[in-house]
Order: sequence, then C-alpha cells, then structure tokens
Amino acid sequence: MSPRGRQAAPDEKTVGTAAGPSLEKAAAVADDLPEAASPEELAAQWEAEKPEPAGLTTNVVLALLVIGFGGAGVVGSLALGTGSLGEPGPGTWPLVVSSAIALLGLVLLAQARATSDTERFTSDSWVVLPAVLTLVPFAYLIEVVGFEIPSAVLAFVWLKVLGREGWRTSVVGALLMTVSFYLIFVTALGVSLPHLF
Amino acid sequence: MDIAPVIDGFGVVLQPENLLYCLIGVVVGMLVGVLPGLGPAATIAILLPLTYAVEPVTAIIMLAGIFYGAQYGGTITSVLLRLPGEASSVVTVFDGYALARQGKAGTALGIAAIGSFVGGTVSIIALTLVAPFIASFALDFGPPEYTMLALLGILLVAAVGNGSRTKAFVAAAIGLLLATVGRDGFTGAERFTFESLSMADGLDFVPIAMGIFGLAEILHSLENRGKLGKPPAKVSNPWPSRKDLKQSSGAIGRGSVIGFVLGILPGGGAVLSSLAAYGLEKKRSKTPERFGKGAIEGVAAPESANNAAATSSFIPLLTLGIPANATIAVIFGALLIQGITPGPGLVEDHPELFWGVVNSMYIGNILLLMMSIPLVGLFVKILTIRASIMAPITVLITLIGVYTVNNNSFDIVLVIVFGVLGYLMKKAGFEPGPLVLAFVLGSLLESNARRSLILFDGDVAGFATRPISGTLLAVLVVVLVLPLLGFVLRRSLAGRGGPAAPGPGGGATGETPSDSPSDSPSDSPSDTPSDTDAPEGRTKESSR
Amino acid sequence: MTVLVGYVDTAPGNAAYEAAVAEAARRGEPLVVLNSPQGGALVDKALVGDERRAELASVAAAAGVAFELRQPTHHDDLAGAIAAVADEVDASVVVIGIRRRSPVGKLFLGSDAQRVLLDLDRPILAVKPRS
Repeated sequence: MSPRGRQAAPDEKTVGTAAGPSLEKAAAVADDLPEAASPEELAAQWEAEKPEPAGLTTNVVLALLVIGFGGAGVVGSLALGTGSLGEPGPGTWPLVVSSAIALLGLVLLAQARATSDTERFTSDSWVVLPAVLTLVPFAYLIEVVGFEIPSAVLAFVWLKVLGREGWRTSVVGALLMTVSFYLIFVTALGVSLPHLF
Repeated sequence: MDIAPVIDGFGVVLQPENLLYCLIGVVVGMLVGVLPGLGPAATIAILLPLTYAVEPVTAIIMLAGIFYGAQYGGTITSVLLRLPGEASSVVTVFDGYALARQGKAGTALGIAAIGSFVGGTVSIIALTLVAPFIASFALDFGPPEYTMLALLGILLVAAVGNGSRTKAFVAAAIGLLLATVGRDGFTGAERFTFESLSMADGLDFVPIAMGIFGLAEILHSLENRGKLGKPPAKVSNPWPSRKDLKQSSGAIGRGSVIGFVLGILPGGGAVLSSLAAYGLEKKRSKTPERFGKGAIEGVAAPESANNAAATSSFIPLLTLGIPANATIAVIFGALLIQGITPGPGLVEDHPELFWGVVNSMYIGNILLLMMSIPLVGLFVKILTIRASIMAPITVLITLIGVYTVNNNSFDIVLVIVFGVLGYLMKKAGFEPGPLVLAFVLGSLLESNARRSLILFDGDVAGFATRPISGTLLAVLVVVLVLPLLGFVLRRSLAGRGGPAAPGPGGGATGETPSDSPSDSPSDSPSDTPSDTDAPEGRTKESSR
Repeated sequence: MTVLVGYVDTAPGNAAYEAAVAEAARRGEPLVVLNSPQGGALVDKALVGDERRAELASVAAAAGVAFELRQPTHHDDLAGAIAAVADEVDASVVVIGIRRRSPVGKLFLGSDAQRVLLDLDRPILAVKPRS
C-alpha cells in the first residue's frame, strides 16, 4: 500500500531505522496526496497505539482481588447485623452490594481469558511509584512548614526526575510554580493556606 | 408555563460575577477539551474546591460551561492534529482533518463552532420546555420510584460506557459500598470506619472525585512518555462560506435533535450522539463516499450533536436529581456540597438556581461561538507545553486545592489513596465514572431502598405493583437481560469471532481477541463503539 | 558513511542544512537529517512539518543527494541523541547550526551546540547563519 507520500506516522515511537531508502523516495514525492486515512484505518491505527493488554495471569489475579474484596465486604456486613427484609439492619445493604461484587468477581474470573482491556504494567509503569511517594510527604509537611517548600520540592522532583527536564528548567520551573501559586491562592484569592512567607 | 421565573433567571445570569464565571467556565472547558488526558470530569473534580467560595448558581454556571466548552475544545485537536481531544470529538477527526489537509481548517472549525452553538441553543430551548414538565411529573415519586430510578441510572451508565460491562458494574458496586462507610442514618451504627474518627462521618465526595478523576489521570499520563508530537498546524481561511452553511444546515438540525434525545438518556451522552449523528448523515447522504474525505456535514453533524447532548444531559439532574453520566455526577456532588439536593422540587424551591443555570447556557454558547476561532491560536500554543511541565502544575493544583476545602491534611491523603486506586482501576480496565456516580447516588439509593422495604413490609415484589416503579423495574430487567440475549444469539449464530461488539458498551465476551481474522469493514463509524475499538484483524499500518 | 545534520527550522538550522547538503554532495554520501524535539508535548514547534520536509527533500534532490529524515524525541539530552544517531548511521561528519551568543548568554543558557562540540567524538561542522 502506498505510503501516501509521507514518512512513518508521526505517532509511532520508533522511527526510521529500517525505512531508510524508502523514506528518501517517499520524501522525494512532494506529498500532495492528502494524509487523511479512512475511518477504518484511523481506528486501526489508534487501536495499534493503545497500550498492550495484560496477560491471563493479571486478569485472574484481578478477578481474585475483586472476589476477595467482595468477600471481605460480606464478612463485614454480616458482622454489622443484617436484620430481615422487612426490617433492614445496618448490614443489609452492604451485604447485598458486597455479594454483588463477589459474584461479579466470579464472572470476571470466567471471562479472564477473553479480557483484553486490562493494560499491561510495563517498565514505564514503574514511574508511578516514586510519583506517589513524593505526594505523601507533601500531605504531612504542608501543615508543618507551609505549602511553599513542599510545593517547590515536589515540583522540582516531578520536573527533574519524572519529567527528565534539565536542571535549568527544573529549578526555574519549580520556583515559578511556587510563586504563582502563592500569588493566586494567598494574595489573589485569600484562601486560608498555611504559608511560611 | 409561568414565564416569570425564566425571565428572572436571565436577571441572575447577567450579574457580573455570574457572567465572569460563565466566561471562565467556557474558556477553561475549551482548554480542557484541547488538552489530551484531562477531560471535563477530571477538571470539574479538580475545581470543586473553587465552588466552596462562590454562590451555588455561580458555581454550577461555571461547571456547566466547562462541560459544554470541552465538547468544542476537543474539535480543535481533531481538526488540526488528527487527534481527538475528547471522546466526543473522535468522529470529527475523519472529515475535519481531511478538510484541514485541504487547507480548509478554518472552515471546519467555523462550521463546528456554528454547529455547536446551534446544537447547544436548540437543546436549551427544548430543555426549557421539557424540564418543568418532567419535574412536575416526578413530584409524585415516592421511595420505590427513586430506588428504581437511581438503580436504573447507575446501571445504564455502567452498561453503556466504554469497556467491559462487568467491570463497570464492579466499579459501581464498589462505589455503592464506599457510600456506606460512616454512620448509618437509620440505626446510628458505625459502618466500616475502622475506628477512625475521620471516617466516622463518611467519606467525603470531593477528595474521592479529585483523586479518582484528577490524580489518577495525572499518574496514568506519566506512563506515556516519548510520544512524538506534531508540528504546529496553520489555520488559514477563517470562516465557512454561505454554500458550506447551506450544505450543512440539515446536518446541524438533525444532529441537534439526535444530540438532545440521546443526551437525556443516562449513559447516552455526547459520545454516543456524535457517533449516531455522523452515521445518520452518512447513511442518508446521496454521496456517502465524500464522508471521510472532507464532507462538511461530517463535521457539522457530530459537533451539533455533542453540544446538544452535553446540554440535555443536565435534564435528569435538574428535574429528577439523577445524574446521567459521570461528569454530571461530579456536578451533582458539587450541588450536594452547597447543600442543595437536586430533585423534582428544584424548579419550585430554587427557581433562581434552575433558571440561572439554564439561561447561563444561552450566554455560554454565545461566548463559545465568539471566542472559539480567535482563541484557536492560543490553544495551539498551549499545546506546545510539555507534559512534564503540565503534570506538576496539575498535581499541585489538586493537592493544594483539596487542602483548602477543610484545611485537613487527611483530605490530601484521601486524594492520594483514591488517586492510586483510580490509576489501578484505569490500568485494570475499570471505568472510574460508574464508581463516582454510584458513590454519589449511594446513600440516596440505600435510604430509598430501605424506606421502600419498610413500606412494603419486606415484600420485594412491591416494586412491581406500583405503576411507575414497575415500569422502571421492567426497563431495568431489559437492560440487564439484553446483553445476555445478545451474547447467546451471537454464540448460537456460530460467529466467526467478529469485531468488538458493535452495540454500545461492547461488554459481551466470549470472543478471544486473537481468533478474528475477518475484517468487518464497518463503513459507518456508528458501528464502531464510542472509544476507538477497531475492526480487528486489520493489518497495522506500518511505515513502508 | 553518511552526513548527519541536526536540524530545526531556524536561521542557524537552515544554514547548517545548506552546508550539510553541500558537504554531502562533495563527499558523495547520503544525508541524514535529525529533527529531534524534546518529547512530551502534543504540538512541537521544533518538529518539521510535511511541507517543510518536502522543501528540504527537493533541495537535497537538486544537489543529487540521498535524503533521510529522522524524528525521534529526546528528553533533555539532545547531544546524547545526536551522538546515538551518529553512531547508528556512521556519520563521517556531524553538521550543526550555531547561534551567536553574548558571553553572558553562554553562561546562563547553556548550549546544546556547546555540548555536542565538546562531547562528540566525530568531526563536526559548525555553521553560523550569514548575518
């Protein structure tokens, strides 16, 4: 199928390694041809760009987690006391809901092989862990030293480490953000926020 | 119909503060629609702390502006970058981008703006006529009716959403369970509080919404790094010609109607309407081959539809007190925070709120039309801001914002916890929307269910005996049974495992993704479900 | 053996491109154009669009030079990206564009070009735009 006078679709991560000579041909044809793909091709392209689906194990574990959660709910509800249908107790409704969760978990287990909408945890996914870990101290520090320092530090870490930005961008960015937030929240809106300066 | 409150509503809207917040809402909404990742639900959730500082009317005017503004914003990236900013703008990509390639980006954007304006306005007019009628009808509702209605609402949203139906139901059920945490209203017993004082009053809606929608999205977007962007697009010719307008007038009209109707249904909404409107235009066109290559109707129809739907999806909220989709559920939560419980009584008890919000939509749509084209350049510039810079900004807004609500750092912890939960749910394929919707409706559903049971003396069949609740129960059963029927039917027709289910939701399984070599060339995108499920088996387009 | 040029659509970049084409013609080697934006944004000003690419390609074709465009993203280390591609295509010379900087400018704003000049262990052709 003709490449329609363009190089590899810009949204693909890896570009150009095997496509050397053909790219030259493609580029030489000044692309008058519209790049627009038909809806099916576009949809297929988006589908291909979607994250990889997870494997059977993940789906099974997921289903088991759901069943477990539902089961825990059932136990908790029974402990609360269920009463009768005519006189519902505090545990009646949670019991109904928890049982539904457990049942649905069983359905998920049955569907585990066919499920394809679970995203795989890739090596890229690891970044979320440090991201979350930076947020926790923020919650505790904000009341101790005000919001400026935790905000600046958080912004810096997110820029430099998670965002892989340069030193200059990270420092300047962190400072700018903190100052802007100060101006917006404290000065302009007058919100009651613990602040040091 | 009593005209006086409607006129008073305009008086409310024209107050400077409300006008300002309407403007802010529409601009923020457009911006959010342009930026990939954050959607109107997440943005509204993140801005919830702001609603504490203003009047209820003002708050809802702004939040509504965000919602329908986002429907237009998504169009900009669809047309200029072939990338839908919002799910409801996916269909616009086909013809909108083709028009841009032909140098007619301005035409596409202009028609989209006009279509959005007309769709929104038509929808508001219809809302004005229909809503009070529905509200008065619903005044007779008792606990059984509310139970059924709430249940149906949750089920429909879970059933019609993207992705697996089962998982959506699980999410909804978890939301219901979360709603039970705290002190039981009926008996005073403490449920699932784990001896924590902070949990005794129940889980707060704001941190949950901010976490599951806002923080989860931020965390999820951290994963996608290194994707190549696109060069800046040029918008040359400014406005559609008279011929274009004439050609698309029918599409706009039909799109508006479709959008209005589908938007009212819980679970329907902007995405479904845009698909349906596009499909309809293509089917009834005498030259359907133009679609996908720059047919102006292919932009006009979905854009009118999605704005009409965004507006009409307010109807169940304002008349029955039942949110029709996840975004409206967050707005529902915002109202609850302000101490206002939406329901049939809203029109009577708070007419200035009801009509203030409704009338603000007229103004908002006008603002949208006026500002959409001039601001395109600015939005494209904003798109050049790297994600690694946007992320800390959004995170800080979220964390600091939630703190300002109660000056309690426990709220920040809650946001983090639910952010992680929301992220895991996203990875696992669970929609966060049904969870939030169910959480918001949970206590309403439970108290009405218990009251009904007391009413019926424990006889569950009582639901079927009352006319309205009986009808709703029947609909509920149909919604539950239909996919099973479809599943059985498909199996028995000895399918060649076919593509993802062509109907809404596509939750039926039994088709392993690997064994479908057949291409089903769905020629009308209304066959492809709301998100981007593709006909399987197509060869991936590789660079050749 | 190829000629690698780091390209952005600016005066120094275009000057570098011109020089690169001439150099490739002189050496009889194919030309590889590296247009690498810093990743993470949906729209990137540094990225070369189809029109511009066609123009570049035709200039190369007029000089009888084989043309290849690569557009990988980089994260804060453009010099490293250039080095990696240079290795991949076995560049016999790397062409870059240089902006005129005041001494103070050099201090505060760092310089990708400076990093390339210092770190890259291949012959480098640094081109300044004609003023």
